[in-house]
Formats: sequence, structure tokens, C-alpha cells
Amino acid sequence: MSAHQRGTELDLSWISKIQVNQPAVLRRAEQIQARRPVKKEWQAAWLLKAVTFIDLTTLSGDDTSSNIQRLCYKAKYPIREDLLKALNMHDKGITTAAVCVYPARVCDAVKALKAAGCDIPVASVATGFPAGQTHLKTRLEEIRLAVEDGASEIDVVINRTLVLTGQWEALYDEICQFRKACGEAHLKTILATGELGSLTNVYKASMIAMMAGSDFIKTSTGKETVNATFPVAIVMLRAIRDFFWKTGNKVGFKPAGGIRSAKDSLAWLSLIKEELGDEWLKPELFRIGASTLLTDIERQIYHHVTGRYAAYHDLPMS
Amino acid sequence: MAATRTGSRACEIFTTLEYGPVPESHACALAWLDTQDRHLGHYVNGRWLKPEHRSSVPCQDPITGENLASCLQAQTEDVAGAVEAARTSLENWSTQPGAFRAQHLTRLAKMIQKHQRLLWTLESLVTGRAIREVRDRDVPLAQQLLQHHAVQAHTQEEALAGWEPLGVIGLILPPTFCFLEMMWRICPALAVGCTVVVLVPPASPTPLLVAQLAGELGQFPGILNVISGPASLGPVLASQPGVQKVAFCGAIEGGLRLLIQESVWDETMRRLQARMGRLRGGRGLDGAVDMGARGAAAHDLAQRYVHEAQSQGAQVFQAGSMPPDSPFFPPSLISDLPPASPCTQAEVPWPLVVASPFRTAKEALAVANWTPRGGSASVWSERLGQALELAYGLQMGTVWINAHGLRDPAVPTGGCKESGSSWHGGPDGLYEYLRPSGTPTCLPYLSENLNYDTFGLAVPSTLPAGPETGLSPAPPYGLFVGGRFQAPGARSSRPIRDSQGNLHGYVAEGGAKDIRGAVEAAHQAAPGWVGQLPGARAALLWALAAALQRRESTLVSRLERHGVELKVAKAEVELSVRRLRAWGARVQTQGCTLQVAGLKGPVLQLQEPLGVLAIVCPEEWPLLAFVSLLAPALAHGNTVVLVPSGACPIPALEVCQDMATLLPGGLVNVVTGDRDHLTRCLALHQDIQALWYFGSAQGSQFVEWASAGNLKPVWVNRGCPRAWDQDAEGAGPELGLRAARTKALWLPMGD
Repeated sequence: MSAHQRGTELDLSWISKIQVNQPAVLRRAEQIQARRPVKKEWQAAWLLKAVTFIDLTTLSGDDTSSNIQRLCYKAKYPIREDLLKALNMHDKGITTAAVCVYPARVCDAVKALKAAGCDIPVASVATGFPAGQTHLKTRLEEIRLAVEDGASEIDVVINRTLVLTGQWEALYDEICQFRKACGEAHLKTILATGELGSLTNVYKASMIAMMAGSDFIKTSTGKETVNATFPVAIVMLRAIRDFFWKTGNKVGFKPAGGIRSAKDSLAWLSLIKEELGDEWLKPELFRIGASTLLTDIERQIYHHVTGRYAAYHDLPMS
Repeated sequence: MAATRTGSRACEIFTTLEYGPVPESHACALAWLDTQDRHLGHYVNGRWLKPEHRSSVPCQDPITGENLASCLQAQTEDVAGAVEAARTSLENWSTQPGAFRAQHLTRLAKMIQKHQRLLWTLESLVTGRAIREVRDRDVPLAQQLLQHHAVQAHTQEEALAGWEPLGVIGLILPPTFCFLEMMWRICPALAVGCTVVVLVPPASPTPLLVAQLAGELGQFPGILNVISGPASLGPVLASQPGVQKVAFCGAIEGGLRLLIQESVWDETMRRLQARMGRLRGGRGLDGAVDMGARGAAAHDLAQRYVHEAQSQGAQVFQAGSMPPDSPFFPPSLISDLPPASPCTQAEVPWPLVVASPFRTAKEALAVANWTPRGGSASVWSERLGQALELAYGLQMGTVWINAHGLRDPAVPTGGCKESGSSWHGGPDGLYEYLRPSGTPTCLPYLSENLNYDTFGLAVPSTLPAGPETGLSPAPPYGLFVGGRFQAPGARSSRPIRDSQGNLHGYVAEGGAKDIRGAVEAAHQAAPGWVGQLPGARAALLWALAAALQRRESTLVSRLERHGVELKVAKAEVELSVRRLRAWGARVQTQGCTLQVAGLKGPVLQLQEPLGVLAIVCPEEWPLLAFVSLLAPALAHGNTVVLVPSGACPIPALEVCQDMATLLPGGLVNVVTGDRDHLTRCLALHQDIQALWYFGSAQGSQFVEWASAGNLKPVWVNRGCPRAWDQDAEGAGPELGLRAARTKALWLPMGD
């Protein structure tokens, strides 16, 4: 992966005047889903591309080494070989972008991926995921331990209390400390947008997270009641663009939670293409956090190649 | 082999992630054209009409130029036939209970729903517009319009008691239009019980399809008739006996003017250009394009404007992915246009945007209002207070705050100035096709002999006319302009005789210069009067009523002098007082809030004054008609220039004495003189916002003709007398509707 985003000094003037026009954002979100359909070969190619953006995720209490192993194998071989061959895409090295697990499962994942002989990065959630309501000290320690275990990407959750009470300096300082604790690992900052109260807060939190040096900003943990939605994404993407215009630094974007269908994933790709442009459509700058999405994409590819809809047992389990 | 080719293609797309074509099949549109053997006639009285020996024009795909069908051109007798069909079905349709008409409209909405794919592919195919526009906006809105107006029809007997349908409506559509514009007009007309004849320009199949869908409902085939023909048939349709009203429809929206505050100019332009760069254009039937094309003519118009703007020193930014050849034209952002260059005055064609900077909100408002157009505008600001102030100040029919282009059947859409004064949708849209019950049907009478060049041009000279026998004290001599009595510019007078033929006195002979002065005075008084709270306006009207009461004996004797019986004269004064009080009370209840489906937040429906309203009072009821017309005009915040009764102007001048002490100067101006001459001066004045004329049929005809110069709304009586002493005609809601215009203010909310 490329070098880190270095962030900037805290500049509150970047966020003090911001006011997000929520009704307009909602309308744009509604339009954009209907305006850029892709069909036929384009759809197949876009879906395969979407596969390479997936952070294949399992974040359950009952995760054990066996299902982590299965997940890692699926990350390495996301689409049935014969389907890829039919599309002449079998030699493109299509894998998911990463696997994403709880800190305690990082070792299992690293081991399983090594056994499968691939260098897919392991991402670990951290900092008291999903609520973030633990002491700063333990949150920082959690990051360090996950990095020690071999996680090269850390998905941290922010302290929502700081956003809701407007303590932007404190938020900036915390994320800077996360950044430091990550060392060489990439920092993805989860804003938990479903709990921030307003789109204006989403914009402000995005900006603070980027100033503090996040490599990615991520919509949600997947555990809130409201997860990755288009309106929230538009606000975050506009923040990313503003940050890029101001600093020249490109920050990545990761929607997570609730993205289940192949059709959804196409809409997300076109959203990135429309709002940020093609240069953001690469795994270094765009990820989709999902667990069941891959299965649906594989079914759609199956249909594209064979003209039939697959039964679930026609495709390998993830 | 095929698989490999697909494969290699997929590889390429996998790298570039480009968009592909998403062609929408238009097979059904072609199949529909085939049912007519690619030869479209007119749809009248529930069946296709293909008269022989008519010329036809080709209907072409505006993008490929491919011939899709040929369309017959109507002739006069075809128009007459269609109007006849509409007249025949009117009897049946207008007498049905509202609930019954509601059901019929609902069935039509269902019919459109069932055949929506045909409708949207046909419309996109022949107009070249992007399918998403037609499919996602127009077709659903067409159904909503029908449903909304079905509800209105259902409650018509209660909600619109005292009103009856006008009759047969002629609708004339411009060369470029979308079928939705037709729906906005036919839905209210049909709902209230009118029947319609639509004249569409050649080669527009969609209205024919809509008419066919309506016709296939079985019952009432003749309520919607569509004929296609050249614009020269417009006057033919308008002059058909039985056509009670003609509605025109303007071309679909053109380009835009964008005013950006200097402090955010760079940032806004940057974002705008970035967004424009992502727009995709192409064949309308492609599901993934934002913009289609509107044919070669629209392309050339845009091209010409861009060239001219460049030659006048403007910067032109073009972006977006767009097929390079005509008829496609890229979205273009034009800036740095010098303020006085011809392009800043000209209408901006589609798909162009002309951006110019402003310094303060006040300046923005002045610039935005400095145009003969007054359709719609949007205000974008993060400060609600500022946005609202601008929205209230804009002379537009519709203003969106932090949004653009929203429409809903429940919200009246219209305009002011040259954008026209008729309304579609909402309650206002219904009144366009209604008249107060019992109003005599005055068929439009068009005299071929009226000479527009000379009507009211010369003022007959007046000479001393015998001994004055007027009661003293006579009202002060002069024209009541700017709050005081002034000598007329012509420095001559006209004699007023009483019912015996004796000279009663002289009144000033007003002329063009006096009208000009009166209009100026009215304009100066306007901001102050508009700014008054409704309560203050009501108080002044009531004060005037009290003054009139005090003056009762003088007024009665003046009226008696003109042959009015004592009892009647007393009643006239009393009723005049009551009228002033009644309109004073009505001032308080203006405007309302609408709730619109799908919009979080309210739509404010504001009642705004028209501006300077000119009124030519009828000869009869010299006091009552004067007051009955004056009161609603003032109540709604207008400033007024009045021409009183010609035979008996004295009572009006008496009232002026009270107005001189009570009302701000210039609020009401009364000009006496030759009525035809003054009418001519008023009708030809471009800075009068509305004109009411009660006089001869010829005068009415002249007023309508002359007022077309600035498209000011006119209200004429075509020589028919009005029962001013009856509340329905003398103080009915019709006067209120005429005296104000609606503005819809959209306020989306959310944080």
C-alpha cells in the first residue's frame, strides 16, 4: 500500500462555517441511484471491480478460527474459477481488498492467509468497537496489540461524545493518537454516522478525521441502526473532495453496513465515479465493508456467464 | 468466439470502468406508430380522423433524422369539427356530478399507468429528451395531476359552489413543449367540467396518444380532442364559436441565469464546473444520460448564442461527456459577459447557463427583477432570513429556497410579467376554467372594423357649454394625482351634464401625460403600501368607509342630480360603505400554507399585489362600481390609477377629497377625461401591471389587443353590464382573484 496520508494541523475555520443542505443532499442521493445504470458486459466488469474493493468482513461473537479460515479462502478466491475463465479474467488476480475481523481473530486471519499463500491485508477493528465507550488508554493499547498481531489496517471508531458535544480539538487529538499507535498500519476512521445527529456533524467529523491523518474515513460500524446511506456518503465524499482541493491529499472512503446486493454495489461505484472521479476507484482509496455482498455478486456473474440464476449451493460458501 | 470477445471487452472495462450504453427499447413506440400505419391523423371524439386531401409533415427522430411517421396537417374545417365534438360532449360532461368526473379522471390516470412505457418511450423518441426525465418525472407527475384533479372534481360542488365551468377550452401548444405542459392545463379544465380542443404543432404524437388513451375509456369520447396543425390555425381555433377560453403554453424551459455573490464566486464556479464535467449527454433513449438533445434548431440557437457571447468578450466553459456532433450540445457555462452586451438582454437558450457576480443581496434582487420574465427562480443561501427576504422580493411565480425545479399538482404554478398570468395546479389553476355562476356568457365579439391605430387616438375638443348649475361646493377641479388635485396637462376641460341635459360642471380633460404622471405617482407609492401590514391596510379602508358615510348627503344629491332616485342613491352610498368595510376585513385572510407529498417542509402560497393596477370604471353605478373596484385592489396591496364613469365622474371626485386627507399620496389616482383616449393610454403603457376595463365591446377588444405588448393581465367585460349591486358580481371572490397574484414559495426543511 502507498504511504500514509500525513494530515494537517487542526484548522477549525475549515468547519466552522459549514452548513449542509440536507434536503438537497437527499434529492441528489435519490437521483444518483437511478441515473447511472450499467448493463451487460459493463455490469460484469463493474461487479468484478467491486469485488476488488470489498473488505470481506466477519464481526461476530461466535467467530472462530474455522470460519475465519473459510473467510480468508473466499477472499483469495472470491469468484468461481470457471466463471472468471469464461470472462477471460482468471489471470487478473482478482481477490477482495482485505479481510476484516475483531482484534482477537487477527492471528487466525494472518495465519490462514499465509497458508493460502497470498498477501491480502488483514484489517482489524479497534478502539472499543463498536461503541468506543472505553478508556482512551485501553483503546490505544488495543490498536498496538492488533498491529503486533499482524493487522496492517486498523478500523477505529471515533468517540461520538466528542462530536455531539462539539469538542473538535479533543476529537482531533484522539485520532492523532490513534494514528501514532497504528505505526505503519493504515488508519480507517469509522464515524458511526448514524449516531452523529446531523449531516453537518458528519461533514465536520469527516474533516477532523482527515486533518488528524486518517487514510480512510468509513461510514459506520455496521452495528448502528442506520448504516451506510447515500446521503451520508455524499456529505463524506464532498468533505474528501474539499480536503483534496485544500491540501492535495487523497483520503479513501469506505461505506460499510447494509450493502448486500450486487445492484447496491454498482450504485456505490457510480457514486464514487460521479463525486470523486475515476482516480478514487482503486482499492487504495475505496473499500466496501461487507459480508454477504460477495455471494450476490458471484450469483450475478454466474447469471451473466451462464444465463441462469444460481442456487446458493452452486457457489462456494464464504 | 463470442465469449472471448465479451471477455476481452470485460477486461477493458475492468480497467477503465467506463459507462456503457443502456438503450431503452422503443419497440412499443414503433409498434404503436405501426397501428396507424405510420400515418398520424387527429384524435377527435374518441376516434382517429384522417381527412383526405391534407398535406402532411414528417415526424422525425431529432437525433438520427430517421422518419418515424407522417402527420396530417389540419385545416379550418378540421378545427371546426373538433370544436363541435367538444361542444357536443360539453353538455353531458359538465352536468355530471363532480364525483362522477372524478372517477373518470382516475380511470385515465390508471390508463396512463398501464401504458406508461409506451408513453415515455414515445415522448423521448420524438423529443430527444433524456428518458430519465420523462420516465422518472413527467409520467408520474402526469398521473399525480390526474389524481389530484380527480379529488378536486369530487369536492367541486361544496368547495367551488358559486362557480361553473367556462365551456370549451382551446389549448395551443408551442413548437417545443413536453406533454406534461398539456397535462397541467387539461387536468383542471376537465376536472371542473370543461371540454378541451388541443392544437398541437405538427409531428407531436404524444398528445395524440394521451387523447387516444382518454378516448379508449369508452365514455365521454369528445372531452379531449387533439388536432395537429400549423401555428396559423391558432386564430382559427380562437375564433370558433363556442370556444370560451384559449390557453397558450410557452416553450419548455430554456437556459438559466445564475447570480453568484462575489465573495463565493471562485468557489461556486469551481464546484459548478466540476459537476458539469460529470454530466453525460447522448441519445434520449439511453437510460444513463443526463441530457438528451432537442434537435438541430435548438443546437444552432445555442451555438449562435455562444459565438456571440464569445465575440462580446465572454468566457465559455464547456464540459461533460457528449457526442461531438449536432444535434448534441454540451452544457455551457458563460461568464464575464459585459453588463451592457446584447447577450445579457437576450433570452438564454438551452443548455446554457450565464453566470454573473453581484455584491449585495439588494443588488442581486434588483438584477433578478430587471427582466420582462417572471416564471420561476431559486435562492440558495445558508442563511434562511436572507433567503426568505430575497424570495419575497423576487417578482416570480415560483421561488424555491435551496432547491430547484420541484413541482406538485397541489401547488399553483404560474408567473408574472411576460411569463404570463395564468395558473396551473392548486386552487388557482381551477379558477382559470371557471366563472361565477350566472354570469352572462358573453361570446367573444371580434369586430373586423376596429381600427387599432386610431381607437381613442383623438380627443374631441370641448368648448364652453352654457351656464354652470352645479351644486356648491363643487369638488375641487383637477385630476387627482399623487394625493392632490392637479391641473390637466392639456389645460382643457370637459362638461358634465346632469340627467336634464343641463351643464353640471366641468371636469379636467386628462391625457397621455396625465396618465404617465399618475402611473409614476402610483409606482412611487407602491413600496410603502405593499410594506403596510394587513391590519394597517384594513384600518385605512375602514377610515375611508367612515369618511364616505360622513359625506353621504353630498353623494346622494350628486347621484340624484344624475337621475338616480333618492332611495336608490341612498342604497348605493350605503352599499359602497359596506364594500369598503368588507374588503378591509378580507385583507386579513390572505395566503396559506400547502403541504406537498414527498417534500419535508411547507410551501407558502402567498398573495402578492399585482403592482400598479389601472381600472376603467363602468358608466353605470358611478359611485358603487368605482368603490367596488377600488376596494379589492387596495385591499390586496395594489396602487391604482382609475378612470371614473364618463357621464358621472363627480361622485368619484368627491371620494377623492377624502382620499386626499386619508390615504398616502399616489396610492389612488383618478384621471377624468375621454374614456376611449384614456383607455388607449393605459393599455399601451408598458409599466402598468394589470388593466380592468368595463365599457364597450370595442374598447374591450382594443384593451386585449394593446395589452399584449407587455402581456399584462386584463379583465374586460366585452360590453356586458354587471350587476354591481349584487354581492356575487360586485364583491364576489372573483374580484379578489383578479386583484392579486399568487406566489408559491417552496421551503424544504431538514438538517
